[in-house]
Amino acid sequence: MESTKKFKSADEIKIKRHVSDYIFTIVFTIICAFWVYPLIMVLINSFKDKTHITTNPFNLPNAESSVQWQNYDQAVNTKMDFMSALWNSLTITVLSVALILLCTSMAAYFVVRVKAWYTTVFYYLCLFSMIVPFQMIMFPLSKVTDTLQLNTPTVIPFVYLGFGAGTAMFMFSNFLKSLPLEIEEAAMIDGCGPIKTFFSIVLPIMKPTVISVGILETMWIWNDYLLPYLVLRIRYFKTVPIVIQYFQGSYGRVEWGAIMASMVITITPIVILYLFLQRYIIKGVLSGAVKG
Amino acid sequence: MKKRLALILASAMLVSSALCSLTACSGGGSNAKGHVYYLNFKPEQDQAWQDLAAAYTEETGVQVDVLTAAQGTYETTLASEIAKTDAPTLFQINGPVGFANWKDYCYDMTDAAVTKELTSDAFTVKDGGKIYGVAYVVETYGIICNTKLLQQAGHSLDEITNFETFKAVVEDIQANKAKNGFAAFTSAGMDSSSNWRFQTHLANLPIYYEYKADGIGKTDAIKGTYLDNYRAIWDLYINNATCDPGVLSTKTNDDAVAEFVNEQAVFYQNGTWAYGDVSAVGDENLQMIPIYIGAEGEENQGLCTGTENFWCVNSQAAEEDIQATLDFLEWVATSDKGTDALANAMNFVSPFKKAKEASNLFVKQDAAYTAAGKTPVDWCFATMPSEAWKDDVGSALTAYAAKQNDTSWEAVKTAFVDGWAKEVAKSKA
Amino acid sequence: MEKIMKKNPLYFCLFLLPTLLAFMIGFVVPFGMGIYLSFCKFNTMNDAKWVGINNYLQIFQGDETFTHAFWFTALFAVISTVAINVIAFLVAVALTRNFGGTNLFRTIFFMPNLLGGVLLGTIWKILINGLLLSMKQTLTTNGTYGFIGLLIVMIWQQVGYMMIIYVAGLQGVPDDLKEAARIDGANDKEILFQITIPLVMPSISMCTFLTLTNGFKLFDQNLTLTGGEPMHQSEMLALNIYSTFYDRVGWKGVGQAKAVLFFLLVGLIAIIQLKITQSKEAD
Repeated sequence: MESTKKFKSADEIKIKRHVSDYIFTIVFTIICAFWVYPLIMVLINSFKDKTHITTNPFNLPNAESSVQWQNYDQAVNTKMDFMSALWNSLTITVLSVALILLCTSMAAYFVVRVKAWYTTVFYYLCLFSMIVPFQMIMFPLSKVTDTLQLNTPTVIPFVYLGFGAGTAMFMFSNFLKSLPLEIEEAAMIDGCGPIKTFFSIVLPIMKPTVISVGILETMWIWNDYLLPYLVLRIRYFKTVPIVIQYFQGSYGRVEWGAIMASMVITITPIVILYLFLQRYIIKGVLSGAVKG
Repeated sequence: MKKRLALILASAMLVSSALCSLTACSGGGSNAKGHVYYLNFKPEQDQAWQDLAAAYTEETGVQVDVLTAAQGTYETTLASEIAKTDAPTLFQINGPVGFANWKDYCYDMTDAAVTKELTSDAFTVKDGGKIYGVAYVVETYGIICNTKLLQQAGHSLDEITNFETFKAVVEDIQANKAKNGFAAFTSAGMDSSSNWRFQTHLANLPIYYEYKADGIGKTDAIKGTYLDNYRAIWDLYINNATCDPGVLSTKTNDDAVAEFVNEQAVFYQNGTWAYGDVSAVGDENLQMIPIYIGAEGEENQGLCTGTENFWCVNSQAAEEDIQATLDFLEWVATSDKGTDALANAMNFVSPFKKAKEASNLFVKQDAAYTAAGKTPVDWCFATMPSEAWKDDVGSALTAYAAKQNDTSWEAVKTAFVDGWAKEVAKSKA
Repeated sequence: MEKIMKKNPLYFCLFLLPTLLAFMIGFVVPFGMGIYLSFCKFNTMNDAKWVGINNYLQIFQGDETFTHAFWFTALFAVISTVAINVIAFLVAVALTRNFGGTNLFRTIFFMPNLLGGVLLGTIWKILINGLLLSMKQTLTTNGTYGFIGLLIVMIWQQVGYMMIIYVAGLQGVPDDLKEAARIDGANDKEILFQITIPLVMPSISMCTFLTLTNGFKLFDQNLTLTGGEPMHQSEMLALNIYSTFYDRVGWKGVGQAKAVLFFLLVGLIAIIQLKITQSKEAD
């Protein structure tokens, strides 16, 4: 009696769960439709005339409001030169992330392996830098970088290395601290110097952390607005966020059409990239969140 | 230990020198000829300046860069750009208040060739007998009227002689909005691309009349004598327009231009610089009329004419860059290409001796008003204490438009009167 | 290894120096200068004049926008922290159940994180203004709309991020523990509160800290969504500091002093967080 009742209820639970699973799927489909709607809206409005974008962002383009590819043409071909901004953003992000990964992983290795007062001080300064808001150093930093001429897309990565060192150092050090010395010692006995040991043994083991740091730094640098705005020579070099902000009010008008088109051009490759690299991005987020 | 330190230092120097050589190429521009970097204030003329700069470079080989600040961010951009080694060599101030802020950067232009080209001393910013700013454009604003629509609505310009008569016409047009298919006013947008039309240009009128009544030219404490008039004209603008007063903050100048050109409204407050935007309506249908606010004696009032655009040369720039900049200015004011660009590409009336006659309809209309004995309204807004003051007044105007009652008008008053005193105090702090 | 690397300066130069140098230029020097400049009146730094604590006094005497920005920011940080974490946690709980499409849903929830603050602010400015238009109002009609607008933007952006962290935390809760509790007669609610939540506490405290700090440091979204309008009513601390710096000539010193206070505030939160985490670990 007891056992049949239990059996029945388990079955009931199963059916119940089945039904509730469907309900969950439906509910979440609806929520997610709302969640992606803003992005869809950008796509829709990129085909509309700018006055129709502000007065009715929710309508589909119709005969009156549609401008076909004109907004894209404007974004790409005007003096705002969105494509060169895209190129600048890409250059800055790729170079900075590469530089950060190479330099901080090596620095972290040195800091963890060499016990000295200066490595300890440096390590704690790095931790400290993580809690300092950008506004604190924004003005002096813009002065220092200006004096040193660190103001073009090819050299600004050095600034990012400096300001972004904190998080990267922290994550690499954390990993290295847990790395047993034995492997390296074995390499030493085989006659490897520190450089060879680092590049052929340590770095390959660190690969997951390298990817995570790379993802986090990429998300930060690609989207950063204020640092490049204050540091770059903006009359020659603008990045994507700078241009999108610039479209709003420069040249006496707010170019909503061009803004929408540029956003589509910016977002599309990112979303595609995300769909492919999702696994790594989520891992990166998780390992980054362990800080704090 | 010592050896190690020496090695560290040596390598540090090596790295930094490598960095320097790496960046040397980006230093650029500072050759014997000098170069010009113009931080332009007027977004409408950006392209014309870019073209003119290119023409100058082609002719002389001197590099001229033009950067235009986004609307409403000139001070911000100037503040961040001027702190750089590669600072603008040429920038602009809006008059004495701007000069007070930037005087450390204003080169003494008393003996500059471009200063000698001015038709009158009045077009300068002076301090202690020396000239630090040179005006390059004289402008006029008022209410641009589409006379064709006005006629369709059954009215004529002859009816409008002061605020009362203007109000009657406006309200009649608005009352028949459905029938006529157009409103009286374009949207009084308070987006940053448009808010200066009201927080600066329209606000000029109560200040002008107050100065006139008190016989002064500037003040540290505005009284707001004519604020009721300001309210009356603002009410008229916002309640007889194409859009609801609640949504002004999102309306841009583009919207207003579009409404005007598409014949959705009869009146549009703006100045000579907007001629290019509205010329599609046709010269025969365009007339700029004075902004009446109901002050005594306004029947004799003309358009608002003046300047808030003074060139300054950055005194802290390199010697050769200062010279290059002065040469460039002289070329702009005297050469055929330069004067042609000022008059035709930019539609400017420039106070230079060799200036060409601008092909600008509104400029001619302004001259006609003056010839008919009307008194032009001075541009007193150069005496407004700061950009922050304008923005605060503008915000208060927007808030009032959304909620039109005495309480929210008090906020405008506070921003106008108390804000003035506060901003003066801040600028002196 | 340590000996070799310590002995030969080559390794120091190769491994540490580039980062150290960049760190000096990109952080240490500007930070030191920032502290110094907060006691100076200056425009371009070459003209810095020592004025003592004058700038700090000015913040509270001549400038009422800072205190408003402080309370606005504090309130925003707290409310957004609660809202984001509650929503993210609920979504995570739901998405760790086994039903069709959970992976797709997680992907979608996380997506807004890929966009930067400028894009987020711009997108929502259009959307919210479009909605408010029917009420004949806009985002900058009053500070409350700005507050709600910012809240929506931050929820949209951060729920996905926090959800990822919670999902990882929830997946770490062993199933047999929950099964055992169920057999012992615990209902869903009891399992949630007495087993799941205590076990994912590390995730909760981490997310709380992250959202709180993000709330306090918010800048880009604030700049693009409302720009602080109307009349600084929706201006947060970071934006307030920025506009003090660049909108008002001669006030850079005050801006820098505000930045120092801002840094102390953010630092304080970080220390509290650290203490809490440490005491938890000690348990």
